[in-house]
Amino acid sequence: MRYLLLLIMVLALSGCDHPSAHSHKQQMYVFGTLVEVIIWTEDEAAATEAMSQLSAQFQRQHQQWHPWEAGELHTFNQQLTTGEPAPIPDVIAPLLQRASELSVASGGLFDPSLGQLVKLWGFSDNLVNATQPPDAEQLADFIKQAPHISDLEINNGLAQSHNPLLYLDFGGFAKGYAVDRAIETLRQMGFDNAIVNAGGDLRAIGSKDEWPWRIGIRNPRGEGLIASLQISGDESVFTSGDYERFYDYQGKRYHHIIDPRSGYPAEGFSSVTILHHDAATADAAATALLVAGPEQWREVAKKMGLSQVMVITPRGEISMSPAMVERIRFEVSPEPDVNVVDW
Amino acid sequence: MLRRGDYLVFLATLLLLPWLYFTLWGDQRAGAYAQILVGGDQQALVSLHQPQTIEVEGALGLSILEIVDGKIRFITSACQGKQCIHRGWINLGGEVVSCLPNQVSIAILGGEQRFDAINF
Amino acid sequence: MSELGYRQILTQPRDHRIAWWAALAITIHIVESALPSPIPGLKLGLANVVVIAVLMLYGWRDALWVALLRVLVGSLLIGTFLTPTFILSLSGAVASMLALGIAYYFSRLLPNWALGALGYSVLAAQAHMLGQFTAAYLLLIPHPALFKLLPVLMTAALVFGVISGMIATAMINNVEKRAHSGTSG
Repeated sequence: MRYLLLLIMVLALSGCDHPSAHSHKQQMYVFGTLVEVIIWTEDEAAATEAMSQLSAQFQRQHQQWHPWEAGELHTFNQQLTTGEPAPIPDVIAPLLQRASELSVASGGLFDPSLGQLVKLWGFSDNLVNATQPPDAEQLADFIKQAPHISDLEINNGLAQSHNPLLYLDFGGFAKGYAVDRAIETLRQMGFDNAIVNAGGDLRAIGSKDEWPWRIGIRNPRGEGLIASLQISGDESVFTSGDYERFYDYQGKRYHHIIDPRSGYPAEGFSSVTILHHDAATADAAATALLVAGPEQWREVAKKMGLSQVMVITPRGEISMSPAMVERIRFEVSPEPDVNVVDW
Repeated sequence: MLRRGDYLVFLATLLLLPWLYFTLWGDQRAGAYAQILVGGDQQALVSLHQPQTIEVEGALGLSILEIVDGKIRFITSACQGKQCIHRGWINLGGEVVSCLPNQVSIAILGGEQRFDAINF
Repeated sequence: MSELGYRQILTQPRDHRIAWWAALAITIHIVESALPSPIPGLKLGLANVVVIAVLMLYGWRDALWVALLRVLVGSLLIGTFLTPTFILSLSGAVASMLALGIAYYFSRLLPNWALGALGYSVLAAQAHMLGQFTAAYLLLIPHPALFKLLPVLMTAALVFGVISGMIATAMINNVEKRAHSGTSG
């Protein structure tokens, strides 16, 4: 009786208008990580088709952009180490262009030329391949001659490296770039409401009819979520943290985001969350700001044109831009104090 | 003076009210089931309400999962990086933890599913 | 009637009766609204006593009139007409009248299982609270946290439903006593 009543009221009040679109989700092990694609649509068949296309696209990109395994980038890198001019492969050119721009904007804190450094630490390819830090002398030698993306001279589709230690590894922003391409593909296929979530970093477009996408942000320390936000439109949420890939050695933790200036894992922040339109920028920015640390992050954020940033120190102190304060809703209680800072 | 119909109403109410407390005051966000996937395909669906250990055979070898107190985690895994183990416990609807090298992942189903995606 | 098109509204005794009871309900409603409430939306619902009494004495339709008049006129007099409070009140009234309607006709079909004042009261109070809650959730505060309040609200509704039921019973007995003493006098 009561339930009939409730049902009648709900139907009456909702105008008997139930959407037939719903979320189609698929998880794929691609691109060295777990990617989840969510498409909001009524067309189940088209969604399934889209998923398999995206899966194939990611696999292709993974192979083409892998710094160390057989593929276009690997070959290109080999050629560059000879010091001779080498033709830039078509599948690498846009990646290289974008990465260079972002590297400059970040003041060099994000730099795709440091493949050798990443390898020394054992963090290539989204994996953890080492159990102890590299030899200190080896590191020192590397830093002395540290490569920068500016060591790569580009002319008419040919690239020439002026530093033998230069080795392209787009790991710091490749996920973001791939997410952007995936969103492009989905749009071309006629989907305007979707999320592409590559291992926790995502871009969301559109919405679920009248409901925005709800995104939870994991607590960098501890269980559960620290905050959440809503997206409707077209935005990316990327977080870089010291808890994602690391190993412990002799009581110290070494994580995968290396500061190119010191050669050691960045210190100062336990996580950086960026909200930005395109994923490639968000990805590079999250990396760059984590490296920048509490002294420099605002400067870099300004240079990279970011307006919505949240940073958390290992002690749990949170700072945010004013625009970010509008977006973030805390999911822990008591709500933490927040430093609101601008640039 | 109570009529027979009154007893019906009371019965219904006395059934409804405890149910409301139980359902709405329990931790809604906690999931009821964990879905275990190997290579992207569902291998098992396990209840989080029953403490247990589960052995899963993946691409590289064995991963061992543990369920205690409505939460689940990896305790050992065949990978080198052990990131899956570092991730710790999960229990909220929508949360996922995976051992990528071993291609084993755990997803929490049920619960309030307040979020469409979790950023980390 | 007259060439000018003037029509006289002829009132029936039933109209007088409804007006009288509605006035009573409205008065109680207004007095009750002056009382502070610990949780928003939590009203003792004493005016429901009148609705139940009318239901049992004169049937569902009369009760419906009284209920709707109470909400409408009450809100006009208090000054909450068309405010969110009014929407909640109306939702509650509609929900409880629907429930009562179903129960009433159910009682007519199966007299052995008919409801008494207490049953109707509890049913009405629960339906009223559910109706208000639904309206509040859908139109005012679509926040999942609101559900935490529901068990408490429904418990309170049960308690007040029982109290109103007892008062309604007393009221009905009183009226019937007078009716009997009147006709037998």
